[in-house]
Order: sequence, then structure tokens, then C-alpha cells
Amino acid sequence: MDWQVIWLFLQQGVASGLVTGSIYALLAVAIVIIFKTTDAPNFAAGELFMAAAYVALYLLVFLALPFVAVVPISLGIAFIAAALFYRIVLQKIGSSAAVTVNVVIATLGLSFVLKGLVRKTGVGDVPRSFPSIFGNDTVMIGQAVLTMQDIGILVLAVLSMTIFFLFFNFTRTGRAMRAVGMNPKAAVLVGINLRRTRMLIWGLSGLLSSLAAILIAPKILMTADMGSVVILGFAAAIIGGFTSLPGAVLGGIIIGVVENLVGLFISSRAISVAPFVAIMLVLVLRPQGLLGGKVAVKKV
Amino acid sequence: MTVTPFLSIKNLTVKFGGLTAVNDFSMDVMPGSIHALIGPNGAGKSTVFNCISRYYQPVSGDILFQGTSLMQTPAHGTAIRGIARTFQNLELFNGISVVENVMVGLDAALKRDGKRLSPRQMRLEAEAILERTGLADYRNEQADALDFGHQKLLELSRALAVRPKLLLLDEPAAGLRNREIAALDRLLVDLVRKEGLTVILVEHVMQLVMSISDGITVLSFGQKIAEGLPAEVRQNQQVIEAYLGREGGAAA
Repeated sequence: MDWQVIWLFLQQGVASGLVTGSIYALLAVAIVIIFKTTDAPNFAAGELFMAAAYVALYLLVFLALPFVAVVPISLGIAFIAAALFYRIVLQKIGSSAAVTVNVVIATLGLSFVLKGLVRKTGVGDVPRSFPSIFGNDTVMIGQAVLTMQDIGILVLAVLSMTIFFLFFNFTRTGRAMRAVGMNPKAAVLVGINLRRTRMLIWGLSGLLSSLAAILIAPKILMTADMGSVVILGFAAAIIGGFTSLPGAVLGGIIIGVVENLVGLFISSRAISVAPFVAIMLVLVLRPQGLLGGKVAVKKV
Repeated sequence: MTVTPFLSIKNLTVKFGGLTAVNDFSMDVMPGSIHALIGPNGAGKSTVFNCISRYYQPVSGDILFQGTSLMQTPAHGTAIRGIARTFQNLELFNGISVVENVMVGLDAALKRDGKRLSPRQMRLEAEAILERTGLADYRNEQADALDFGHQKLLELSRALAVRPKLLLLDEPAAGLRNREIAALDRLLVDLVRKEGLTVILVEHVMQLVMSISDGITVLSFGQKIAEGLPAEVRQNQQVIEAYLGREGGAAA
């Protein structure tokens, strides 16, 4: 392999990696915000993503609605569905840290329900493809080739994450969400409604998953099992430290780039292993994740 | 002459399983006063606080705040009604800075007043509160980087940011140096005398309790054993035995 090829592969790997990485970052953020405020990982994240993609497909292909209508409706449905799941199911279970296992099992339950529902409709029986929003014309960036869809994914993902961070850091509701994540007891004391805040968090998480689904669906084959992509969102969250939002974004980008570089330099068959090697490396060298803060010293 | 109590606890009983933590406890706190609630460890003082701030649901009894019952108010509603508190064991937002901790408290006051402030204005207002509690120099530190005494003062700052009418302080002087206790003393007297706040104080530092309290209620094993002016309580034989020790020398 001469230097020119290496340079070309590097450019292409990083460019494509940023595109898929931004999707993993969105999914990782969706996972981390729930983990921080509900104290339990949401194992239905994958199926929420999958179901959201099918909702969008249904609106787009079966109802023939235009994209401008499909995107907001899909995001809205995902927001409401996830918020209702929190309100109706998790609220009843009691979302305190004392019953984390029950919450986890409930999210697993939701994942089966969603998968079952998609299969039941028959829409999910055969693999389908999702129309591209931005088209597949190609653009050259340096020597890397990206499609317009790729550019659209990157721009929208970065834009939505920026909006989300501004919201999280500079609004009263965002501050309430962070407060609940840090200390629910103290949050209640300063007048923050835990139930409402957690419901909003679930809704937002659903919305982010739905956005990721709409953006990436044109690039992957749609099946009822497509939610397995979200495992890479979890991987990104772990690399970032699992409680850090910037960490989640960084983790997503690392995984995306690593995947693409491994695919180009080593073998496309090694792609699915690469993220997990990356996780193991990070966890061995830095057990708390890249931006997970200090290793907690337990009081004895 | 009858003044309606600002806060009135009526026949409060709290049980944890078979254990009765607070038994048929009543207490009236007058508006604009500093009322101390004292007693040995485990007497139920913090439990009473937890009932007022609605973390605990009593088995029986009622708590009237400005004449209306608190029993229908959810825990997050107490701040909006004007009750703020600090905890014996700190409950801060540890991931963020000192000034941001106060800003979260400020949100409650702004929400109640239906006001909005720009992030810059909020920061200025939060810094003004820190100036008062003597934490201004630490405004940009992470909350958990402060020492225990300063973390207690930060909790007090956050509570003040809520702009409460009633302030519940659970051992605010713990971990403070003598000089800082004197400053706290002045601050509390200021808040009550000049701004009309009502304060309920759980405290073991007797020097503080005796010097600033208008009234004292003594709890022991969940029962009220004495109540009255500081001078009266100090001389009450039952109190001396149950709490201050048989010699009673630790009182002053």
C-alpha cells in the first residue's frame, strides 16, 4: 500500500466515520440522558429507533406524505410515545434507584413489544429501503467522496446536538434536567417536578432516536432487527464515560471513524468487531471512560 | 392577643415500620421568629423537617403553613409555596460550580414570580447571594471541592436563592469555625429582623441556639419534652437530663 492510497483511505475513513459517528453520537446522547436521570439504561433504545424508522417509512411511503410533514410528525410521535412509556409504565414501577432492575426489565419488555408490533403490521416482514431525503449526488471533500445524504446527516446531527446542548445548559428546563441527574432529592427541594422532568427526558430521548433513525435509515436496510445499530450507541456512551454528554458525542465519533478506517485498511469483515476492540482498549486504559471524570473512590 | 402561627404542626406522628420516630408532636412557630428545635441524636428533629418539606408522609397529624395544610402539597411544591431548607448531610449538585448551584435555586423563585432573567443577570443575582453568605471567592469552584463547612453555607445560599418565607436549617453550623459561626449568627438575625423571614433551626451548637432563638422546642425520642424561651429551656430539669447531660455544663 503506497502513501497515496493510505492518505486517500485516511481522508475517506474520517469523512465517512464522521457521518456514521454523528448518528452514533445522537443515539449515545439519547441513552445517556435517560441513564443520568432515571438511573437505568434504556434497553429499548434500539427498538425505539427501529419503530421510529418504521413510523417515518409508513408516513412517507404508505401515506405518501412529503418529507417536510413526515419529519415533524415522526419526531412528535416518538416524543409522545417515549414520554408516555415513562409516565404509564416506569412511573408505576417507581423509577427510584432502589428498583433499577425492575426498570431495566420494563425497558426490555418495551423492546419486545415494539418489535412485535412492527412484525404484526406486516410492514416489517420484508427488508425495505428508506428513501433518501437529500439525494445521492456525490460531493468531493479533499479526496473523500460523500453523498448529499451524508452531508445532510452530518449537518443535521451536529445542528440538533448543538441545539440540545444550548437547551440543556442555558434554559430553566435544561437546568432542571441536569439537577435531577445530579441529585433528585435536592432537585425536588428547589421546586423541580421529578415526574414531569423525567417524562420530558424520555420524550427528548425518543425524539433524538427518531431523528437518528430518519437520517440513517436510507443508508441501511430496514428490518425489524435494525435496532441492533443502537448497540454502537451504547458502545459510544461507554467510551465517553456513560454519564458525560460531550463524552457520548466523542465516543460516537470515535466509533464511527474506527469502523470506517478498519473497513478500509483491514477488512470489511472486521468492521463489526472494531467498536468492541475500541471499548475494551478504552476500558482497560481508562476504566471510567474518556470523559467520565475521576474513578470513584468508595467510602469504606 | 393571638397571632396566627406561621407554621403550625398539629399532633404529628411518623412511623417507620414498627418504630415510632415522632409521636403526637405539636409545635407553633410565630412569623418573623427564629425557632430552634433541639434534642439528642435520633430524637426525630430531621424527621419533622422531612415532613414539613414533604419527603415523609406522617401517619397522622397535620402541618399548617400560613393557615393552610401542607398535606396536599407535593414535595416539589414546597419551594413554590415559599419553604426552603438545608440538609444535615449535604444534598448539593456536585457536578457543577458553586454559582450554578445557587442558580438552580433561583429558578424556583423566578418560576414562582413568573419572571425570566438572562443567564448573565441570573449569575449576578446568584453572586450577590454568595457575597452575603461569604462564599463569593469560591463562586467558580466545583461544589464538591469545598470543605464541609463551606458546603453547608452553599446549601444555605441555594436555599436563600429560592427566596423563602420559611427557612428550615438542619445543623447549619456543623463544620464551621467560630468566626464563621459568628457570621452565620449575624446573617440569620439579619434575615429575620430585617427581611421578615421565619427560621426553624435544628442545631447542636448551643452558643448559636441560645443567642439567636426566640423560642426553643426540645424533642427526645420523638416526644416533645419542653418548650419555651431559651432561658426557660436552659433551666428545665428534664431537658438538662435528657439532652445537655446531668451536669448541664455544656449548655453555655
